[in-house]
Amino acid sequence: MNLKNLTAEKLVGLYKNGDLTATEVITNVYEEIERSDKDIHAFLALCQQRAIEEARRMDAKIAAGDAVGPLAGVPVAIKDNMVIRDVPTTCGSRILENFVPPYTATVVERLRSAGAIVIGKTNCDEFAMGSSTENSAFFPTRNPHNLQRVPGGSSGGSAASVASGTSVLALGSDTGGSIRTPASFCGVVGMKPTYGRVSRYGLVAFASSLDQIGPFSKSVRESAQVLETICGFDHFDSTSADASVDEFVKNLDQPIKDTRIGVPKEYFIGGLDREVKARIEAGIRLYESLGCDIQEISLPHTEYAIATYYLIATAEASSNLARYDGVRFGIRESGNSSLQEMYRATRHAGFGKEVKRRVLLGTYALSAGYYDAYYLKALKVRTLILRDFQKAFEQVDVILTPTSPTVAFKIGEKTDDPLSMYLSDIFTITCNLAGLPGISVPCGKNSEGLPIGLQLMANHFQEALLLRVAHHFEKAGGFTLTPPTPQLA
Amino acid sequence: MRISEKDVEYVAKLAMLEVADNEKKELADQLSAIVEYVEQLNKLEVSGIEPTAQVVTSVKHAVRDDRVAPRTGSSDAGKTVKLFKVPKVITER
Repeated sequence: MNLKNLTAEKLVGLYKNGDLTATEVITNVYEEIERSDKDIHAFLALCQQRAIEEARRMDAKIAAGDAVGPLAGVPVAIKDNMVIRDVPTTCGSRILENFVPPYTATVVERLRSAGAIVIGKTNCDEFAMGSSTENSAFFPTRNPHNLQRVPGGSSGGSAASVASGTSVLALGSDTGGSIRTPASFCGVVGMKPTYGRVSRYGLVAFASSLDQIGPFSKSVRESAQVLETICGFDHFDSTSADASVDEFVKNLDQPIKDTRIGVPKEYFIGGLDREVKARIEAGIRLYESLGCDIQEISLPHTEYAIATYYLIATAEASSNLARYDGVRFGIRESGNSSLQEMYRATRHAGFGKEVKRRVLLGTYALSAGYYDAYYLKALKVRTLILRDFQKAFEQVDVILTPTSPTVAFKIGEKTDDPLSMYLSDIFTITCNLAGLPGISVPCGKNSEGLPIGLQLMANHFQEALLLRVAHHFEKAGGFTLTPPTPQLA
Repeated sequence: MRISEKDVEYVAKLAMLEVADNEKKELADQLSAIVEYVEQLNKLEVSGIEPTAQVVTSVKHAVRDDRVAPRTGSSDAGKTVKLFKVPKVITER
């Protein structure tokens, strides 16, 4: 059995026909993790005992002919910044090394209600701050397509796990591209829904006006199924949107002819890799051949997005991370000294370099004398970026761009230069600033066999359209199910 | 604007972070590069533009009904943390 070639839908079909049992699949998952994860390092924690028990119960239900959910017995991996009761949650940080949460995130509850089986927690950049998963306090995750390359980040463990067949589905979180970039680098589908679409109850906060949870999968259909399962109003999240839940899966095959697709000229300038550009242009031609109406559009404030993002995200992070003080969560240092010394010693011992850098930057942007010049200014530019999109969506239905300007870069290539790492997020962060849904779908590979991702964005709550347009691309391009063959380059 | 080592010390104090002496220069350099980069926003004229703190995608904020309901978890919180014993808050000078 090779999970790299099996979608959730096929798996459930095989269970129902009696060709395969969930117990076999879950057992196989842990064998595969044992075999391959020592190279890839996608997982931080496993929940083997509970997963196998759940699989047995699921098999008994299926054998008895009971009704089961759409994700019955499907192995899913959860990014380690979402809490699951009694399973350690570290956010890739030393400061939460010994934290065992007493409750479970809404998204995990909903996946379990649909029959999914959580197999473990995946590695990520510390508190989701990074674009490569190298900022994990524990170890970097490696790209299954080439072990010398990063998987992207911050949800690199989730993407690498789906790509390497140690899970079928995974959840990540996306604050500035943390689902879409790793999906692009690892050759899988990754989606960030509209801000507020999916409950964040149980997601450890990084930047609260930007964070959103979303799926990873090998096909668009599976991501549609996961989104349909996890989205919808939740009274435990005060930012949860009370929007109706569409039947995303059912609508996938509706025609997309005459859909207006905008290609922003600002996304095709300097810094865009030649081979990435060529694949994206081939993608545009594919949509043309499907009868879509391709239009050049302009999003004039794109060049200001990174500056805006790194002021807003760090300001919010500096506030959100104030709670890690050694009192209620995780580690505590210098328990016998004064309270303030304890705070400082705990945070010094517990936070890694990038987290400290961002907390310092955010604190600076919010500090007296600089608030107006930096933070407030960024909030105003955010309005301009949002207006760019509002104007664009009067003209087109969907916006098409590359997901990342490059393919997966080498491990260690950008760790000494934080600004160059920030710049790699250039095509994904506008989506978060404007609260829009975005998806990255595989769009072929470069000459070295490294995956390239194509990004589609739609207006608020237009996920049904977004998924449909992505699904047709995948179907016409035949880009799914190309499992990686890891090799040292 | 250039961030000095003194600025790093001051902001670290505000953020309750310790910065070792040998980290100060590197942080000052890195933060300066980032701050100089974000200052490109100064090219834009934004007077009269409303700030967007959050993209409002919901008609109303989700507020729970004001009634007593069972909650899971909270009574177990003490298992993993020293709830909430802290060192002496008032110390002698």
